[in-house]
Amino acid sequence: MNNVDNLINLSKDLRWQIGDDFHDNLAEGIYADAAEIVKDSVHKKDENKKLRLDATIDRIVTSRVWGFPIMFLILAVVLWLTIVGANYPSSMLATLLLDTVHPFLRSMAVAASFPAWLSGFLIDGVYLAVAWVIAVMLPPMAIFFPLFTLLEDFGYLPRVAFNLDYLFKKSGAHGKQALTMSMGFGCNAAGVVATRIIDSPRERLIAIITNNFSLCNGRWPTQILIATIFVGAVVPKAFSGIASLGAVIGIAVLGMAFMFFVSWGLSKTVLKGEVSTFNLELPPYRPPRFWKTIYTSLIDRTLIVLWRAIVFAAPAGAVIWLISNIHIGDLSIAAWSIDFLDPFGFLLGLNGVILLAYVVAIPANEIVIPTILMLTVMVTGISGGEGAGVMFELDSVTATGDILKAGGWTLLTAINLMLFSLLHNPCSTTIYTIYKETKSVKWTTIASILPVILGFIVTFLVAQIWRLF
Amino acid sequence: MNELNYSPLTALLTFLGIVLLLFLLFRPGKGWFWLIQKNKESSRKVIIEDILKLLYHSENEEKSLNLVDITRTLKDPDDLIIDSINEMAEHELINLEGEHVKLTQAGSEYGLRIVRAHRLWEKFLAEKTGFAEADWHKIAEQKEHELSDADTDKLSARLGNPQFDPHGDPIPTNTGKMANVTGTLLSEMEVNSFGRIIHIKDKPDIVYRQILAENIHIGSHIRIVEKNANRVVFHSEGEAFVLAPIVAGNITVTELKKDVKVEENIARLSMLTEGETAEIIGISKEMRGESRRRLLDLGFVKGAKVSIELPNPLGEPKAFLIKGTSIALRNNQASKILILKD
Amino acid sequence: MEATPKSACEACPQFNAAGLKKLGVNTTEFDFVVALAGNPNTGKSTVFNAITGLRQHTGNWPGKTVTRAEGAFEYNEQKYKMVDLPGTYSLLSTSEDEEVARNFLLFGQPSVTIIVVDASRLERNLNLVLQVLEITDRAVLCLNLMDEAKRNNLEIDTRTLARDLGIPVVPTSARFNKGIPELIQTISDLANGRIVCKPHRIKNIPKNIESAVQKLSTEIEKEFPNIPNSRWLAFRLLEGDSHVIEMLRKGELIEELQ
Ligand SMILES: Nc1nc2c(ncn2[C@@H]2O[C@H](COP(=O)(O)OP(=O)(O)OP(=O)(O)O)[C@@H](O)[C@H]2O)c(=O)[nH]1
Ligand SMILES: [Mg+2]
Repeated sequence: MNNVDNLINLSKDLRWQIGDDFHDNLAEGIYADAAEIVKDSVHKKDENKKLRLDATIDRIVTSRVWGFPIMFLILAVVLWLTIVGANYPSSMLATLLLDTVHPFLRSMAVAASFPAWLSGFLIDGVYLAVAWVIAVMLPPMAIFFPLFTLLEDFGYLPRVAFNLDYLFKKSGAHGKQALTMSMGFGCNAAGVVATRIIDSPRERLIAIITNNFSLCNGRWPTQILIATIFVGAVVPKAFSGIASLGAVIGIAVLGMAFMFFVSWGLSKTVLKGEVSTFNLELPPYRPPRFWKTIYTSLIDRTLIVLWRAIVFAAPAGAVIWLISNIHIGDLSIAAWSIDFLDPFGFLLGLNGVILLAYVVAIPANEIVIPTILMLTVMVTGISGGEGAGVMFELDSVTATGDILKAGGWTLLTAINLMLFSLLHNPCSTTIYTIYKETKSVKWTTIASILPVILGFIVTFLVAQIWRLF
Repeated sequence: MNELNYSPLTALLTFLGIVLLLFLLFRPGKGWFWLIQKNKESSRKVIIEDILKLLYHSENEEKSLNLVDITRTLKDPDDLIIDSINEMAEHELINLEGEHVKLTQAGSEYGLRIVRAHRLWEKFLAEKTGFAEADWHKIAEQKEHELSDADTDKLSARLGNPQFDPHGDPIPTNTGKMANVTGTLLSEMEVNSFGRIIHIKDKPDIVYRQILAENIHIGSHIRIVEKNANRVVFHSEGEAFVLAPIVAGNITVTELKKDVKVEENIARLSMLTEGETAEIIGISKEMRGESRRRLLDLGFVKGAKVSIELPNPLGEPKAFLIKGTSIALRNNQASKILILKD
Repeated sequence: MEATPKSACEACPQFNAAGLKKLGVNTTEFDFVVALAGNPNTGKSTVFNAITGLRQHTGNWPGKTVTRAEGAFEYNEQKYKMVDLPGTYSLLSTSEDEEVARNFLLFGQPSVTIIVVDASRLERNLNLVLQVLEITDRAVLCLNLMDEAKRNNLEIDTRTLARDLGIPVVPTSARFNKGIPELIQTISDLANGRIVCKPHRIKNIPKNIESAVQKLSTEIEKEFPNIPNSRWLAFRLLEGDSHVIEMLRKGELIEELQ
């Protein structure tokens, strides 16, 4: 292949002759052609009519006074609609799937004379986990995502990036991280893939590692549920809605604070370097097609959540049932692990049940709460005679609260659970995605471990300080 | 943990103790762990390669070195250096002619390889990473020892087999060929002559940092305005620069013919204020590689009209209207786009 | 080359129903591959959805699509595979975020390339269009977001544009399914050779670059007589593109480009 070498050598010589302005000259040449073509075929009828409305909106949403308040207000409104709106369909689904279909399936199993272990495994393990996920996860998601998509279609997200870039620059990160973070509010795996828009490798890694600080699909409902049960209960009834909304927003904002803090930390230590360039096209605002957006994002999200529920919650439900029913000596594996984890959990202001639930739920954050409930029922022995590894009759949020309180939960447990739900390892899908995107075991490990360590530290500190007073 | 002897206070104190210990161990740069690592690192190979490079550069400048020069220039302990020199002589990398140390053919090839790795690394740091310009040399100084021949070739290919490093020094090819730099030192240019900066010497460090601090860069066009024993004054990209002659002696320039148009009144896009419009003259050479190409592709080309579309209350980024679209840039990028205000 | 005649029966049901079948993700067997190229946020995914009936995510910000997506449709008994790509500003850069799209356009050998542009920002979009035209003979310009261009009081003479560019130009408003039938018809005409393009070649290239490109591309052609776009290869080589050089060395490029 000597001739190829000759070609390469020739190209090297020529490059030397034409100098390093090659790309500049070429780009200018192409644009000159473009200008000629446009002159021939594009005519502007009325010169100075500019889209005033766009400019006005831009001035407001990026202004010093209104920029940040508007961002928080929008977040608050979206969450408020989600929390309030999800209540009703959620309890309807719970009544249907857990109170009606579940007993029916059990009686069917009895009629078909299934062996007890099989019906326990299938109906109390697999079915209940899936049903719980659908009842509790689906409604908030079906409200949250269409709203979010409407904002996205309107063109608001790039303005958020525009507003926040200054902070990102200060923490050594890229302004487009605001966009990938927003994607992370839906799903961290999607957020990690979205970091491809960041063209500098260092800043992209920062964005990948910190994406987990955006509360995802599987964690919003946990926050909402726990905040409603515990935070909402400590204030007068009239304010309970506001209080729980405030707590959830607080956690989301704390997540962003951690995102900036960790980005800053990384860019000062392992990912040292100067901030590089940033360029962002601000598209014109486009009125979203309201019904179409609502319809498609509803269908899409429903399908994704259902799919995940079946793929992850079902086997996890099975695992839960198994570890609660296989015994070593006279203790089940679950009871044994809970005993082992309890002291550690106590130090963190949590308990063994919660820690075990987080281990079981590595595949999907969605199933943390059902796992906690089921394990709590088992430990406290309050189940209505259904046997180990069976969930319970969950017909209302209050019932969930009662179970948890019976399991020894206090306001501290609740707050720390919310914190730990924000700060723990990404789900297995996200971990795998991080590996695919970085192709590096080292960074995947860092991205997986770092948040848990932070979670341990934060919950530990909160617990000790709480107990001091 | 037994709940009987647990108190939140002891838990907190234990935690603080652990944090303090970790901090002392791993503090960036000064942690004990890093210090121990560093000591291990300054191995024989690194010293040998540093000596080879030193010899290579001085032989290029036709100076010959003796043992004392070498021990004085390198910061490593003298006994290690002497040991290394003996080992090099054994491997026939150098000849000892009395006090004088000369490279053999093999030694000179080895030295060239290190130079190649060093300059490629600098190019890499300039094009693909965000490290500050002043740090490139230091980092490349470490990294050059870690590359095998194959790695070096790979790095070179990845960068598009560049001919020059960011300081304007030629990068040797894997066969040892090297483009030569011919030019005049800035300190020797005539008043009123035009030139283009082609090389900036990165040693000594103090002088180099001073040049960087002045924002003088390879590829910039300059015009000499004044020259005397105390100072050299030149204009470049709309700004006037004043340098001491020794500093100017570190900069090499090729002379340009007078007919090359040098625009006066050039400003930077970052200086544009709301309501003004301007025409783009070009992108300063400080903007390199990927980011330069991206700016060009976004439409920041010579002749394009630009104005501010959306200011930012925090100062940056600002959105500029260019070819019908608003594009937000940070100040450090905008300051590298040269404009002529209308 | 003339602009595609406006179909007289855009509204008549046969036009959509008779020939077109949206096949969704079923991309198993196909006769042609159609690629969607264009700057970010010009509506590529929206066009993709309109033609295949899929629901690729769209969003009003540049960079929504970051991975390649495939779908299919059938028109007049021929099956087409469609590939939606991330937006790109240029084929000449080496940036990583644009790699997926660049590689597919350069090495994926699509039968037809649809270049989606924002009608209100034609000039900046032409930067990419002109580059794509350097490397392909079968392309159609999808002049999208026509509704916005109208609101901005822009009038675009598609005939002149088609003549200048040497490829068919189809005005569309993908979000409202306007112009999509004409686009499909044009794709089919191009794929079956019923329309032949004479793509515009960049004229305003500085003399020294042009002569270097010529010299290099003649050498390349001498070496590899069957190569379709030696000029583009020459550009890449002059840019110092290591990927192309590697492939040239191994001989892979030759297979891929043929
Ligand atoms: N008014 C109007 N809006 C459109 C039209 N086509 C697309 N859009 C909108 O333009 C925005 C961008 O569309 P996408 O299809 O996501 O653009 P894309 O080219 O795939 O963008 P990237 O994937 O980021 O490169 C979306 O909000 C669309 O709804 C159109 O014809 N008219
Ligand atoms: Mg898209």
